[in-house]
Amino acid sequence: MSPLLIFAAADAGPIGQIAKTFGANVPALIANTISFVLVALVLKKWAIGPIQATLEERRKTIALGLSNAAQAKSELAGAQQKSQELLVATGLQTTRIIEEARVAAAKLTEVEIQRAVTAAADIIAKAKQANEAELNRMRLELRKEVGRLVVAASVQVTGKMLTAEDRQRLAQETQQQFSA
Amino acid sequence: MKIGKQARRDAKDLFLACRREEILDSNRVRQTVTQVLAAKPRNYLAVLSHFQRLIQIEIEAHTVRIENSVPTSDALMAELKASLTRRYGPGLEFEFHVDPSLIGGLRIQIGSDVYDGTVKSRLTALESSF
Repeated sequence: MSPLLIFAAADAGPIGQIAKTFGANVPALIANTISFVLVALVLKKWAIGPIQATLEERRKTIALGLSNAAQAKSELAGAQQKSQELLVATGLQTTRIIEEARVAAAKLTEVEIQRAVTAAADIIAKAKQANEAELNRMRLELRKEVGRLVVAASVQVTGKMLTAEDRQRLAQETQQQFSA
Repeated sequence: MKIGKQARRDAKDLFLACRREEILDSNRVRQTVTQVLAAKPRNYLAVLSHFQRLIQIEIEAHTVRIENSVPTSDALMAELKASLTRRYGPGLEFEFHVDPSLIGGLRIQIGSDVYDGTVKSRLTALESSF
């Protein structure tokens, strides 16, 4: 029994007066209570239950999404870390390759420089040799030319200087040399 | 013309028959050639061809060519003849030539022997030494 009914049943005191004032009626109250319970049951059965199930499902979905997001975030972090490590490793490898390439380029440059120096030395030696040969040839030609000029001048001078007596004397000397 | 061994032998016999005391007798040579041409023995052209060659060699070997820049005096000619005859024997034929380009001295050629004592030859040697 409800407290109001109890107060009404008490029929005395301020509570009974209040129940009278507000028109409290026990059957109506019981009917209302039954109706309320029935409505509550119906609502629980066909309205609140599905809504709660839907909400639960949504909650689960959200939780799954959050979990997936967290996992994705974790995987992303792992991937970022891996990519970072990969970048570092790649950077190191790149640095090593660049260093090796630099060393190889330096060696190749040195070899090419040596080859160029050798080729230049050869060219200079050949040019010097050719120059020397040309100089010798010119010297020889000059010497021959000088000899030819000297002899030509000697022929001219001697031919003019020698008198008939000189020529006879030379012939006589030749004859004496031949006879000796 | 092909000259066989027999023709060479015959030509050599004729050549030896034309010599008198190691000196070639020109009269004998003429007589020999005339007789061979008259008789016309076998291969007489080949024989005469080789005979001519032998005569040419003999003449060249006994011909002395003396070149001088000025005309050679008689005294020098006599001295040259005497000295050359002493060295190469009798029977030499002497030819004297004047060549002013020799400048001075004598050039003596006997067969393949040459004695060059000219100023020109000395200057040529000097030029080749440069």
